[in-house]
Amino acid sequence: MLLATAYAAVVVFALGYALLGLPVQLSDSLGNMAKAQDLSLGDLVYGEFFQASFLRPFLWAHLKVLLILSGGDYFTWFRGWHVLQVALLIWLYLCVVRPVTPAGAAAVPLGLAALVGGHTFVGTVYEAFPINTFMTILLCVYAGAALALGPPGRWRDVAAAALLVFAALTVETGLLVGVVVIAARMAGATGVSRAGTWVQVALIGGYFALRFLVLDVGAPGLTERSSGFGFSVLDPDELLARFGGNPVLFYAYNVLSGLSSIFFAEPRGGVWALTGAVRAGEVRLADLVGVLASAGGTSLIAGYVWARRAAWRAWSLDADDRIVAVFLAVAAANAAIGFAYSKDVILSPAGAFFALALTVAVRRLSQQTHAARLRSAAVGILLLALSSAWAVRGLHLHAVLRAEAETARNDWAYADQWIEEQRMTFSPAGAELKRRLEADAVMRLPARDPVSSDLMEVLGID
Amino acid sequence: MTRAFVGLPLAAAAACVPACLGTLIVAAFSVLDLSGHTPFSGGPLQNIAEAAAAGNAAEVLRRMAAGDNLGRLWPVRPEIISSSVPLATGLEAAVWSREGALVRLLDLRRAIGEGEIRHHLVCLALDIEAEDVADVLAGDRELSCEPGEALRAVLKRAPAS
Repeated sequence: MLLATAYAAVVVFALGYALLGLPVQLSDSLGNMAKAQDLSLGDLVYGEFFQASFLRPFLWAHLKVLLILSGGDYFTWFRGWHVLQVALLIWLYLCVVRPVTPAGAAAVPLGLAALVGGHTFVGTVYEAFPINTFMTILLCVYAGAALALGPPGRWRDVAAAALLVFAALTVETGLLVGVVVIAARMAGATGVSRAGTWVQVALIGGYFALRFLVLDVGAPGLTERSSGFGFSVLDPDELLARFGGNPVLFYAYNVLSGLSSIFFAEPRGGVWALTGAVRAGEVRLADLVGVLASAGGTSLIAGYVWARRAAWRAWSLDADDRIVAVFLAVAAANAAIGFAYSKDVILSPAGAFFALALTVAVRRLSQQTHAARLRSAAVGILLLALSSAWAVRGLHLHAVLRAEAETARNDWAYADQWIEEQRMTFSPAGAELKRRLEADAVMRLPARDPVSSDLMEVLGID
Repeated sequence: MTRAFVGLPLAAAAACVPACLGTLIVAAFSVLDLSGHTPFSGGPLQNIAEAAAAGNAAEVLRRMAAGDNLGRLWPVRPEIISSSVPLATGLEAAVWSREGALVRLLDLRRAIGEGEIRHHLVCLALDIEAEDVADVLAGDRELSCEPGEALRAVLKRAPAS
């Protein structure tokens, strides 16, 4: 456990360092922060119960609380909180996989590479609004898993209920906390009691009643955002023209492509980019490695379930089986929740549980001794290739963050023009907030040295 | 503990080593970057002209605020623009970035002014076939250029000593 923790600390250091090079982004954050600045916490949260299409009051509460705490030192507080969230996530990962044996510790590097190198994870770190809501949900679902898969305790029922309420009212995928707890219980975990699990069911029912019957918030329609379909991204007008009469087909596409994305990293954001690139003969190595890494991981998890099929048929699951079972439940529910439009980061909870399931599968496989030398060598080669592919994905994430740091900083240089284009207006306090964020990005954070464009291209950054 | 690891099957090592290497590479990169020795990098942009040529608007603004003069000649490393352009003003370098948005930004900040300098920059933009930049600079002004003259003026400068 000590070695695994030390290794996790190195991962946190590297990711934290990359994150601290990223200014608070202009287009994602300024409008939200100015809105939160101008309203009291109570007014802000209350108002969010009466928005159309989205019910996210705690997202705004979270933002407002940090805004108050920051006392105007926005970069330190918001980016510092982002780094702390990453550290918490990795700690929770260790809490769930509990790498207490040498084989367990040996599986952690590959598992963590799959966690942070996954295509669904990128969006939880390279953008922020200025708090990355999806990262918050990752913490909640991992915390839900740590509660549900741990030893029994009444306080866990209460904590799981509070977690579900907070997560579901932060963003829609927060409902997955309930899915995690319920799936864990169905798989035989006793961390949350039977009564506590029923509370989760009731809270999910209550959420839908509040959203659709009491507040009439509704669900996002076709006009909310652009979304990938087939080989391209359709803007809201195109979506309306193509599916306006019968959006069910589009929603079904999003659910199925979401599932495929979780297991195979293709399509991405609803767009079959790699398939299109293969057709055009323009495949980028980094994209291919991403698909191979996910497909290889999926094969390993499938192999694990196959090897444990007797226990699964008898529904006599051990601790590792439960983690895999929860992953499968989260994958299905996450794809279903993302029915309205396709975006990689929406699938990040499923991506995070993919990493947990892969850790379990690798741990089990590497513990086995194979009598046949040929088979043993084949397993070794397979794991070597898989680990290498995920290592490349990890490097890709750092390249993305490096490139985004420069882009985000440059965006601030053009802030005035952008604000004019958006026709944004600010109160005096909002204008001061903008001035400080701009100064943080341009003056306080000097650019890090540019990295060779050849290297960036190899890592999948144009 | 170490003994237990030594006894692990080959498969565990195969799963562990490449991912560990990836993390160690990134961690080592971060430490070197933090200490000012960024690997796989030609080093930081040396002055406002290099920042402008690289299209790094934020760095240009930061250096302007620090007092760097866009109008004076600065040494520019060969890999930034070209080995035949060892010296350029910050404004010329901005034209070479081919970023119309950067040039517009500098214009909005009144860093370009009117008269000879603007005329030279428009002609330079046309000489290097950066028509978008030339349009931004010229606006609705009617300026005539002798083809190649502005570029020749830049190229004939002596290398920085």
